[in-house]
Amino acid sequence: MNAPGTRPTRWLVTAPPTLFLLVFFLLPALIVVLASLRQPGEFGGLAPLTGLADLGAEAYRFLLDDIVYAEIFARSFVVAGLTTLICIVLAYPLAWLIARSPQKRRDLLVLLVILPFASNFLVRIYAWIMLLGPANLLYTPAAVIVGMVYVHLPFMILPLYTNLEKHDPALLEAAQDLGASAWTRFWRVTFPLSLPGIFSGSALVFIPVLGMFAVPELLGGTGDILIGNLIKEQFLDNRDWPLGSALSILLTVLVLLLAGITAWAARRGLHGTEAVS
Amino acid sequence: MTGRRRPFSGAAMMPSCGRRLLLAAALAVAAGMLAPFARAEDVLHLYNWNNYISDDTLRRFEQRCGCRVRQDYYSDNEEMLAKLEAGAVGYDLLVPTGNAVESLIRRRALRPLDKARLPHLGNVKPEFANPWFDPGNRYSVPYASTVTLIGYNVEKLRSLGLPTDSWALIFEPRHLEKIRGKVTVLNSQRELMAAAMRYLGHSVQERDPTKWEEAERLILRAKPYWATFSNSTYIKDLAIGNIWVAHGYSNDMFRAREDAKAAGRPFGIGFTTPKEGAVLAVDSFVLHKSGGRPDLAHKFIDFMLEGENAADVSNLIGAGNTNAAAMPHIRPEIAAEPAIFPPPATLRQLEMLRDFDPKLRRTLSRMWTEIKVR
Repeated sequence: MNAPGTRPTRWLVTAPPTLFLLVFFLLPALIVVLASLRQPGEFGGLAPLTGLADLGAEAYRFLLDDIVYAEIFARSFVVAGLTTLICIVLAYPLAWLIARSPQKRRDLLVLLVILPFASNFLVRIYAWIMLLGPANLLYTPAAVIVGMVYVHLPFMILPLYTNLEKHDPALLEAAQDLGASAWTRFWRVTFPLSLPGIFSGSALVFIPVLGMFAVPELLGGTGDILIGNLIKEQFLDNRDWPLGSALSILLTVLVLLLAGITAWAARRGLHGTEAVS
Repeated sequence: MTGRRRPFSGAAMMPSCGRRLLLAAALAVAAGMLAPFARAEDVLHLYNWNNYISDDTLRRFEQRCGCRVRQDYYSDNEEMLAKLEAGAVGYDLLVPTGNAVESLIRRRALRPLDKARLPHLGNVKPEFANPWFDPGNRYSVPYASTVTLIGYNVEKLRSLGLPTDSWALIFEPRHLEKIRGKVTVLNSQRELMAAAMRYLGHSVQERDPTKWEEAERLILRAKPYWATFSNSTYIKDLAIGNIWVAHGYSNDMFRAREDAKAAGRPFGIGFTTPKEGAVLAVDSFVLHKSGGRPDLAHKFIDFMLEGENAADVSNLIGAGNTNAAAMPHIRPEIAAEPAIFPPPATLRQLEMLRDFDPKLRRTLSRMWTEIKVR
């Protein structure tokens, strides 16, 4: 009899998170799906549901009818991808530096990374308006990327730092003893070990960027509209909840799909390196 | 977003001494904790545009009625409607624009006015009484008006020899070539497309999608010349000189002009209602059903109908006035400004925005998305 009482314990431990997901993710998602199938109300909101005939995929058909919506999705994913990449490049050395600095100073450095959160998000974006204006970058796509990277950088630094901090220095010493150069040590030891940190940081950056509408609105020019702006517009300006809901559902499905593919590729990648080594 | 619960604090203080004062204080604290059950004593709750009634005006009203006025603010009609829809309650008075008034009436969210309690109602200018959104003024009393028009850098435009009295300035490439990157337009589907419709000679209440497609094409042709879509930053940009032409609201242009003057800029800001016509917005006082003090609300509306008090909104923020008795109290240079007080001929060219049905709203929203992306 191995591990008696495993069942109830497991239930007890997994019930709260499962319940949480059910109540705060699945249930709202289902409500949004239902909203996307209904008709818009005259004053906004939803038209009263009188029967099954009121449900239909009209909103989805409307979105697929015009290439413009696909373009916005594509553009948003490019901006999110670019933001994530720049965040990785900027955050990696910083996170590594913090992880390698003396214990005493580490807490202070982490605090400095979090410090910008102490002031209001909009105030910080307005500060960028002042900075980008004289540089002739305001109201350009570049300004949007700068704003996005600025806002999301800490979300990349922190997971990377927690990952890098745990690396055992003995591994690098062993690699050095075996004659690996500095670059090889990084590429073959540190980097593969830090992949989980990169993945969680990327998820924390990529997904919120897709929904961020304030940055393009304040820093972007006449063409800078992302999927977040489009969804916000449907709910607040246009009072078309079904269309906004349909956009949200499409976004959720695409993100889940992307996350699935990434996870699958990562697992394959890890198996691949295992097979090589 | 959920509606904020409004705290009703005990305002009345018992005239007393020593221990009884302490007791009163304790009671006030208890009343604060029991807020949802407590009855508000002589507090008028106003849900208003930001910076739309001067503190001075409010002070005078508080003195006269022996009550207090509490304000919450919104920055556009949709925000106000959304918050009310989400369940915000306790507001005696709102100040919505025409189409929002119509929306609220049809949702049965408003309390009819008791005109016996509004002796100064006759002060409303005849051209603003009996509006389409509330025939017979059963629910609303007009307060102020704004026009969506073109503001510009007077010296710059004169030296370039460009016309300032036509929408051609922001839509025609032959003009725009001289001011490329120095123009902003409103980031509002309704307002920008309405301007294009007027330039094309159509009504802003047009329901034929093909006419709106013409407007979309016109906008797409002009868009490469614009700096950005802006709803508020244009005030500062105009006053500093970063941009030379802006599509925006008359009261904002008024502020840009005052700011430029105060900063001693070497240029002035002008604003003109385009000759092709423009959008007029009239904001009115209405009584929300959830308000607990319709008596105070009526008193306030009547107070604001008196000429001297009604004049403040024009003197303070440069809004147009819907009150005939206010005119003698308005600063002469403001009263003489045709872009703030449209003469009858211009007024006939102005149109108010109306709500469209969901189908047309969806079609127009797609055009707007295309405008943004292309």
